[in-house]
Amino acid sequence: MAYDLSFGWTGTIGDVTLGATKADGGTRSTSYRIGGGTTIPFLEETAPSPTPLIAFEICDNPVLWSPIIKDYCGDLVNNPAEWAKTATNDYKADLIRLHLTSTRARNFTDIGSVGTVVESVLSATGLPLIIEGSNEPKIDSEVFLKCGEAGQGERLLLGTAEAGRYRSIAAAALAFNHSIIAQSPIDINLAKQLNILLREIGVPRDHIVIDPYTGSLGYGFEYSYSAMERIRFSALKGDTDLAMPMICSAADTLTIKEVREADPASIGDVAVAWEFYTGIAAAAAGAEIICIRHPKTIGLLREAFADMKTHPDAAEVQ
Amino acid sequence: MALKALDIYKLLPKKNCKECGDPTCLTFAMKLAGGKADVDLCPYLDDQAKAMLGASTRPPIRLVRIGFGERLIKVGEENVLYRHEKTFYHPPGIVFKVDDTMSPEEIAAVTRRVRDDTLTRVGTELRFNGIAIENTSGSPEAFANAVAAVEKEQAHLPPILIAKNPAAQSAALVHCGTYRPLLHAATAENFRDMCSLAKQHGCPLVIRSATLDGLVQLVRNCIAEGVQDLVLDPRPATLGEYISRSTAIRQLAITRAVPELGYPVYLDAAGTCCQDAALALGITRYASVIVTRPLMPGPAKAALTLRQNIYTDPQKPIQMTPGLYRVGTPDKNAPVLMTVNFSLTFFTLQGYLESSRIPCYMLIVDTEGLSVLTAVAAGKLNEMLVRDALKKFSVEEEVSHRKMIIPGYASPLSGRIEEATGWKVLVGPRDAAEIGDYLHEEWQKEKAQ
Ligand code: B12
Ligand code: SF4
Repeated sequence: MAYDLSFGWTGTIGDVTLGATKADGGTRSTSYRIGGGTTIPFLEETAPSPTPLIAFEICDNPVLWSPIIKDYCGDLVNNPAEWAKTATNDYKADLIRLHLTSTRARNFTDIGSVGTVVESVLSATGLPLIIEGSNEPKIDSEVFLKCGEAGQGERLLLGTAEAGRYRSIAAAALAFNHSIIAQSPIDINLAKQLNILLREIGVPRDHIVIDPYTGSLGYGFEYSYSAMERIRFSALKGDTDLAMPMICSAADTLTIKEVREADPASIGDVAVAWEFYTGIAAAAAGAEIICIRHPKTIGLLREAFADMKTHPDAAEVQ
Repeated sequence: MALKALDIYKLLPKKNCKECGDPTCLTFAMKLAGGKADVDLCPYLDDQAKAMLGASTRPPIRLVRIGFGERLIKVGEENVLYRHEKTFYHPPGIVFKVDDTMSPEEIAAVTRRVRDDTLTRVGTELRFNGIAIENTSGSPEAFANAVAAVEKEQAHLPPILIAKNPAAQSAALVHCGTYRPLLHAATAENFRDMCSLAKQHGCPLVIRSATLDGLVQLVRNCIAEGVQDLVLDPRPATLGEYISRSTAIRQLAITRAVPELGYPVYLDAAGTCCQDAALALGITRYASVIVTRPLMPGPAKAALTLRQNIYTDPQKPIQMTPGLYRVGTPDKNAPVLMTVNFSLTFFTLQGYLESSRIPCYMLIVDTEGLSVLTAVAAGKLNEMLVRDALKKFSVEEEVSHRKMIIPGYASPLSGRIEEATGWKVLVGPRDAAEIGDYLHEEWQKEKAQ
């Protein structure tokens, strides 16, 4: 007997393409198409709905990077290209997310170096890249243009646009055909508003990934989880201004009390556990890109996602 | 179809005897109509009335109790598919599993761990909930001995007895039958024997089938045998199967489309590819009883924290009552630290203040439960609020100085607070972890002046 679940969805999450291979004018060895969902995450009946992608986060100036990661990755953290290469070949990430933390230095002006870093990472890995540009409105425009230019043809995902700060990044994305991350603080209406603003200045829907802002487990995750679910279900009910894939980056995870103050003997395991539980829960709530910083989290998430993806019950439940 | 309170009232015995726990039959009827009570609570209802009220009045998911006393696990009675629609009420019991092939010492060690381990977060004690004993050996005697080893610790933890063989269950029940253990599991093959054990000992029963049809059939069979306190094990082979089956069960239950599925769900995380992933999914996706191998410290805390997050009401942050709180026994010269009434903020700051060993006052202002940064961004933390709080809680009578330390993230407000209150404002560190150092250095300097 078949049971009718009747969620009543009518909408579909739009597609976004990450990375461009040779065939599409880039140099990436892989590209991904995310989105396409039509129901609750992991209930898709059509097999090819992609498993969430795992993005490994690196930076070009590790001063403020978590000591847990610096201990684990060693000297790599001082060389973004080598770090990206190791993340690709050894850690086996799906994506690399490069934070241009060098631009956070006070009175940063060396815009040229931004291009050099991006280019070096692009040539070190064949994976699609997410680039996190500046955090300072004064240099946004130059930094984002430089990133966009350095990654021309590669279909980067550029971050991060916010309600008060989206023009520079949007300009760079439009000029060089990249996609952008649109972040709003844990609120479905703000997420929608920002997407509308972006649409109004010409950013196409299939170039936007929603970042609903993920608070760390124990420090706001309860809100992020529901914000993600609400965004996903509004999209499925037909709201096209929210029908974009979501990215989850619980960036505060490694600095919260429970992780930072863990017993030194097991601090790495605690960090991994915290990232892992957040990643699984975020994927269950609909996030399609999960960003993490500890290399050991990658394999664990991958194994779990693969097992979450298959469900042969479609015939029984419709 | 839902009945109205008055229609239900007509079917009740109208004795107003209070045995259902309600003052009158009418109030009981109102609860039934709202899906907030179970017909079984009234002992005087005849079978016909019960059948009429039956599935249409009881909560869409039956409340099931496992164990007794302080550590009792209460699960079920959930009303929504998504927590943002309302909230999730009864957090899943996370139960550590032992095998009857383990030594009595090992079993005792796990039992003590579940008894004693606590994680205090946001003023709440988080704990694991019970012990599951599996009849891995196949021998009823070994099973009974393992259960006896658990009970010997006098931990009063809710037990789960995992054995297909009714003879093994029966042998184990000798040791814990009066503590309302959860029996796992009734299947198409053994449900009659399992039901008779469950009835005899008054304990809840897990039924196990890999299809929804199978579960529905077993629920009918068990109810016909007289067992009502059921828990559903959809027997997933993969995490994907778990998600699809638990979601289907929850949806079909809360819409009352298939009332037979209106029972809490059981998940054997230890039996999946990835125990931690199963735990995280069980917590977010509708599991009520999760069985796992004893967890390492990292995953243990992450699991308890995720459960706490998912089971807090998303509409209202956990709040503290605004007021003047003391840390240690502060005197008239003790520092006054201002912060918001979001309980996470309060307990985080309080923890660091306690370890600084400097007695002080915490002035908690009413930001409607918002954290410092959130309250500042939303304009919910302002100088008027601080001024009024100083007055309302008579802070000027408690201390002889007029200096207040505010959170680093509230620094934009410092000038305005000074103007509005006449107090000198010192901007503290952003991160409460640094408050100890700050008090030892900056505050000592300030005091000396
Ligand atoms: C969860 C969350 C929410 C929840 C609310 C949670 C709550 N109860 O407050 C929700 C979803 C409702 C929310 C809403 C909003 N949020 Co919000 N939210 C967060 C998030 C993720 C975590 C907040 C948290 O729980 N922190 C943990 C607590 C413990 O931190 P805390 O109170 O600051 O306390 C620390 C320190 O301040 C210090 N401390 C505390 N007291 C004291 C006292 C003294 C004396 C000292 C020395 C130190 C000290 O110690 C603590 C530990 O270090 C943050 C991001 C972040 N990482 O902070 C964003 C964040 C704070 N939110 C933000 C915003 C903008 C908003 C909104 C205004 C968005 C909007 N326009 O609707 C709304 C406002 C609320 C409203 N209008 O109702 C922004 C703020 C931007 C800014 N820098 O100003 C943030 C930073 C996110 C972002 N990057 O965009 N938010
Ligand atoms: S137990 Fe039954 S008869 Fe007694 S007050 Fe309650 S509903 Fe009425």
